[in-house]
This record gives sequence, C-alpha cells and structure tokens, in this order.
Amino acid sequence: MIAGSEVPNLLEPDARSTLIVSKDLDIAVPVERHAAVKARLREVQGLRRSEEEPSVWLPLEAELLEVNYIGMQTRGEPAETYVLEDSELPLLVFAHLSLLRPGKPLDIEGLAVPVPRPAGLLLEKLLTDRSGEKGDRDLLVALAVLLVSGSSDLEELETQYRGLSAELRFATRSGLSALSLLEPRVQMPDPTPHRALLARLMARLENVEQER
Amino acid sequence: MNEALHERVRRMRERALIRSWEYRQRNYAKGAWYRFRRILVDAAQAWIIDERDADRLQSDGRVPLPIGREFAPPIRVFLLTEEQLAAASSRRRVAVRLCGELLQARNLALIAHE
Repeated sequence: MIAGSEVPNLLEPDARSTLIVSKDLDIAVPVERHAAVKARLREVQGLRRSEEEPSVWLPLEAELLEVNYIGMQTRGEPAETYVLEDSELPLLVFAHLSLLRPGKPLDIEGLAVPVPRPAGLLLEKLLTDRSGEKGDRDLLVALAVLLVSGSSDLEELETQYRGLSAELRFATRSGLSALSLLEPRVQMPDPTPHRALLARLMARLENVEQER
Repeated sequence: MNEALHERVRRMRERALIRSWEYRQRNYAKGAWYRFRRILVDAAQAWIIDERDADRLQSDGRVPLPIGREFAPPIRVFLLTEEQLAAASSRRRVAVRLCGELLQARNLALIAHE
C-alpha cells in the first residue's frame, strides 16, 4: 500500500500530483506479508537496494522514484515503533501506520495502486512527531487528505479517533491546531481558506471528548 | 543489525517520550501554547489593538480570555463581534498564525468563524 505523503497526489483527479511533498515513495508492508513482498522484490527491475539503508531502494533511471519500504502492523492498537530485522529487507515498523486501512485501489494506466482510506491517513499525518519543516509538511499533507475527504470519511475519522488513547487524541488535536496556523507554502495546500473547516473538525473531535 | 534503522527508532522513541511529557504537562504551563493555538483555531480574524482600546473594552465589560494571563508579559485577548471591534480605532489586522507580529502583541481582538 502507498502510505506516505504521495497519497494525496495520487488521490487528485487523474493523479495529477500537484503537491511537492517528497521525492520518494513510501510503500507500507504489512508485517505478516513481509516474506511475500521480499520474494516479489527480487523480481523488481530498475531499482537497487541502498547499502546504507536496505529498506530503501534507489532508482537506476532518472524518471523513477526512490522507494522506501516501511512496516505496518495491521492488527491491534498503535504500539511502539520497532525494527523488523531481516538480512534482505529490514523494515522500520511505524507505530501509527496501524491506523491505515486499505482503501479502494486506484486504477492508474491499468495498474491497480493500493492506497489507504483517507481517515486513517489523515489521523496518521496529524499525529506526526516531527518538528520544523518536515512536521509542517506532514500536517499540510493531512490538509490535502482532508480536502479530498467526504462526510463518510470524517465519520470514519471520528470512529478511529474514539479508539485512540487519551494521549494520542490530544496529540491529534494539537496537530490540528498547529495545522490551522501554518503559513502557506509553494505547491502545498494553503490552510488559510480552510481554517473554518479545520475549526469544525476540531469542534467535532472535542465533542467526542465531552461524550467520554 | 541495521544501525541506521535502529538510530531512527531511537530518535522516534525520544520524540515519543517528549510527546508523553507534553501530554502530562498539558494542564500546566507547557500546555499554554496549545491553549493559545486552540483559541486561534476558532478565530477567522485577528486584530492588534492598542492599550487604550483594550482598556475601553474592559471598562465596557468585555472580559479578556484567561489564556492571555498565562503569558509573561500577559496578552489581553478579546473575543469580539465585528460591531464591537469597529469601535476600536487602533485596530490593525494581523494574520492568524504564530508569527512574530501576533506573538508580540499585548492586546488582541479575535473574530470567530461564522
């Protein structure tokens, strides 16, 4: 499943990819599918494994993207991030990727591209623990996902939010508040015209808190 | 063992520890920044006003939001309607973001989203 900041690019009409978020592509590998992915990787052409970081595959041709394989738990609560050791494909298993749920695959030039459902990706990005430019970009990706989300996605977001620990619920709201106050960046969605939308989402999440 | 991946995990766990500490501190001084950001989320507009206009608002019964007293020096933050703001002749609009101009203001008037 494509898991990183390239997802909103792919979710744009005709996968127009207008956002400049990163120059690599994150592919989330469910830990229980690790062996199968590893086997398929041996058939991949045009990429070679990075010696410094073997979960990263580098392009051999200029028009290809670098691919970063990351691990995800598909069951249970977000746990601690850890390294899945493997001599061929070690993976950094990110705790919050367990929030991702498979969405409807995109059909791009005949290729079925698996992407996550918006709700989980939105939550995962709001929960960014990075600071500075990278953290801001994570939050702007969350905005990009929010802008392609429908009412059913927001209901799903609320359901997933209810299932988080109090600490992660607070971190979600904290991320949302920071997003609302970010300044515009070139070729990223500008929060300014969407601040009322963000305020409504904040109120919705706070209602959950009052109901608890 | 892949050292690069383990180093990244170590840094992420450090950030997770900091996040946990910030969560535990949320109702204390450390949480003031979140509370300040939170009131700004609801603001469609932010205006800087001078001391005289702020004094006049208070004498007219407008109570500054408690968050402003958590900072030193304190910031008087008023939540106003557009009609109430119109009486503040010193008003100067500022972007609703954590920029130097807004953070240096001693008196702020906010207009909520409709």
